[in-house]
Amino acid sequence: MAEGKNKKGSGVRDPGNILFILYVGLLMVMLVLTVLQDGNAAQESQERSELLLSEVRQGELLFTGSERERYIPASHLSQDVELFVSGMVVRAKVRQRFQNDTAAWQEAIYVFPLPDGAAVDQLRLRIGERLIVGEIKEKKEAKKIYERARKEGKKASLLSQERPNIFTIAVANIAPGEEIEVEIEYQDVVQLDNNVFSLRFPMVVGPRYIPGTPLTDTLEKGAVTHFSGTGWALDTDLVKDASRITPPVFWAASGKKNPVQLRVELAPGFPLARLESLYHGVVVKDGVKGTKELSFSGEVMADRDFVLEWRAEKLQTPHAALFAENRDDKNYLLLMLSPPQLDVNDAVVARELIFVLDTSGSMAGPSIVQAQKALTLAIARLTDRDRFNVIEFNSNASQLFRAAVAADSGHRLQATRFVSSLTANGGTEIASALNLALDGRADHARIRQIVFLTDGCVGNEEQLLKQIGTGLGSSRLFTVGIGSAPNGYFMTRAATMGRGSFTYIGKAAEVQEKMSSLFAKLEHPAVTDIHLTSSDGKVSRLYAEPVADLYQGEPLLVSLLLPEDHTMLAVRGMRGGRVWEEKLDIGSLANRPGIATLWARKQIRLLMDSLALGGDKETIRQQVLDVAIPHHLVSRYSSLVAVEQKVSRQQENPLQRSVMKTNLPQGWQANKIFAGRARTATPAMLHILMGLVLLFLSFFLLLRVRRLEQ
Amino acid sequence: MRKQLLCITAFLLLAAGSFLLADGCWIRTKAVFAQLLLQHAWEETLETGEWTKAWPWADTWPVARLQMDRLGVDLIVLEGDHGEVLAFGPGHLPESSLPGSGGHCILAGHRDSSFRFLQDLQPGDLLSLQGADGRVHCFEMQSSQVSTAETLYLQQQDSAALTLITCYPFSALQPGTDLRYLVSAEKLVLPETTGLVPHKVNL
Repeated sequence: MAEGKNKKGSGVRDPGNILFILYVGLLMVMLVLTVLQDGNAAQESQERSELLLSEVRQGELLFTGSERERYIPASHLSQDVELFVSGMVVRAKVRQRFQNDTAAWQEAIYVFPLPDGAAVDQLRLRIGERLIVGEIKEKKEAKKIYERARKEGKKASLLSQERPNIFTIAVANIAPGEEIEVEIEYQDVVQLDNNVFSLRFPMVVGPRYIPGTPLTDTLEKGAVTHFSGTGWALDTDLVKDASRITPPVFWAASGKKNPVQLRVELAPGFPLARLESLYHGVVVKDGVKGTKELSFSGEVMADRDFVLEWRAEKLQTPHAALFAENRDDKNYLLLMLSPPQLDVNDAVVARELIFVLDTSGSMAGPSIVQAQKALTLAIARLTDRDRFNVIEFNSNASQLFRAAVAADSGHRLQATRFVSSLTANGGTEIASALNLALDGRADHARIRQIVFLTDGCVGNEEQLLKQIGTGLGSSRLFTVGIGSAPNGYFMTRAATMGRGSFTYIGKAAEVQEKMSSLFAKLEHPAVTDIHLTSSDGKVSRLYAEPVADLYQGEPLLVSLLLPEDHTMLAVRGMRGGRVWEEKLDIGSLANRPGIATLWARKQIRLLMDSLALGGDKETIRQQVLDVAIPHHLVSRYSSLVAVEQKVSRQQENPLQRSVMKTNLPQGWQANKIFAGRARTATPAMLHILMGLVLLFLSFFLLLRVRRLEQ
Repeated sequence: MRKQLLCITAFLLLAAGSFLLADGCWIRTKAVFAQLLLQHAWEETLETGEWTKAWPWADTWPVARLQMDRLGVDLIVLEGDHGEVLAFGPGHLPESSLPGSGGHCILAGHRDSSFRFLQDLQPGDLLSLQGADGRVHCFEMQSSQVSTAETLYLQQQDSAALTLITCYPFSALQPGTDLRYLVSAEKLVLPETTGLVPHKVNL
């Protein structure tokens, strides 16, 4: 026994010594490393900073620290908006007046919003009595022309597109005290949703810090899926040049500025039951032949969207509307078709929902919490009719139920518990999750909707998209981007591939609202698998793009370019499990100006979409220009530029630039920022000290052990 | 028997002590290493004009570079202010204005790593902040104050301003104090550039 003890004692003692030395050695190395690296970093930074400063001094026009001027508004802006609505078509005229109140020559820059689908085709510069009409040019060329005029002292204006719904206007060489008016015109269509027609005119680009992974060419894509005047979060995700679309803002103390006058001439084509301006006080007057004229009743500052809604007296709105324009011997067509409302006799479509949740390490922190909240909400909305399953994935994927189960309360509870038990760590094996979700087991009696919650932090996007493309079958894929920086590019593309939509949730506070609207939509699919064909003998596909599914209350709205000899158009889709078909006579339609422009705008959007889907950049750019230039449209690659031939500013007078400030959107507070949330200390020193104390203790004990042995 | 017990205790203490020490050092080391990686990401951001993550699974990305010559400070500022961000460097409060955007920019950092230098800042010190567009903005330190975390509401404003926040007191050991040290700096208009200057037209 004594021997055994002794053996044990000696057995422990030796490794003890070695271990002890090892530990101490390791600690010393780490400490030295920490100190050394600190020193290194400091030294390196010093070198870097010098390098940087010298670079700045050499830089051509980079006058740093002088940017203050940029934010002092020296010009003032007022706007006149006229909207002419005729049936579904809107023609808008926006007049922006820049008043230079300073003693210096000014260049004014204004970043402003227009409706998502606005086809901007006119720019006119009005200087007193003179009117200069803008020309459409390739974007870079337009900029060059403008720059030259600006330098030469000629009055000029450049209108370029930053986003499908955000534009920048620049007006050069405004004399001291002078006022210059810029006139912009665009073509648009009225929105129709649940028998309510609506017209939106946005007035302010909301200032917001914009998170997001860089996405260059998917902007138009975003617009297609979920973009609206209020859908800033999505746009933000796609931001690349945030500084260009975040104009400076008047904070509360300065008061609201930028007055707007607005006038609407509405010829709805039917007697109205309701006409309402949602956010502004208006005066309505009756015009000739059932038309209405509206204007603002008080002074309005550009701080919120103008929205006008109207409804027909008879609830049966025409379920199909066709407009045509013949331009340059081509027939352009705008078709709006409302599928018949599902009535009570129609069986509610049964659905199968597959929720896929990313629990990889990149979701750790606020992201997983948001995702869990979103999923819990989604599960709570299921009804007994639905079937569902939950898949979670990190380094590998697993599903809660072996196959989709009925969403009864027991299963729902089980799923909710499962979801709240999940934690985030490991890799991001989306492929295996997709394999589970797209297992090819299609239940034809049900619509299969896959809701995919992830931050999409993956590198093998192409492979995944291919997997979606081949495995989708009759399922629909809805991606939900979670967290501060989801890979919106991947998710937008995945949703397009999956014939669903992309929803972005940037803040925990948005989860409820965004998920509710997504699920409300998913609950009412109306028509799926829509195809358009011309049906006089030969069947040719007119519309190359897959038409997205229609959800309850959404009309189909397409622009077409028709071969001359076609007289019939057929729309075919699946509705409530049956084939639904509509035939339309397109033989004799009155000429309606603006339809061709709308077609061109739509065409550009489709081209931009294909760019997002991996099309060749240069080819698409050329194709966009081929449409934009003949149709005189502002696009990502083309701008409108107007230049006066006369030189008005002599070279000795310098030109100052001022960026027009915009108002904070209504309801936004020039808020105080709560800055006390951050935990700005680490337990590093505490741990080090405690560690040292413990080490000393153990050292002391070991010494005692030794002494005992001796 | 007593010896054995002592032995076991000693090794347990040794293990726990080493773990704590290693963890403490790791927190420090991580911050230093991360800054090196972030420097590269920042250079890429400046080059490409796009937000660039320093490592693929990062929750955050560099949004600015904060420099202070006198104290040899050179930090890459990250987006966000939660713990996982601040572990790597100072963070930009998402609700505040972006560096270089002309409003009130608020940065938070650890008092014992990235923002340790705040205690040595004096009124009049110059801080330079580079935004993602490459422009460098100069700020002059105005004042410092201590406030409780719960009442720390800062006003958004028209003019460019910079506020740096860290925990207080600097020498405290436990991490969860409810006091914050605030440094306010105002944008400096360099005298030679107050007049008319040519601008790179950026339309």
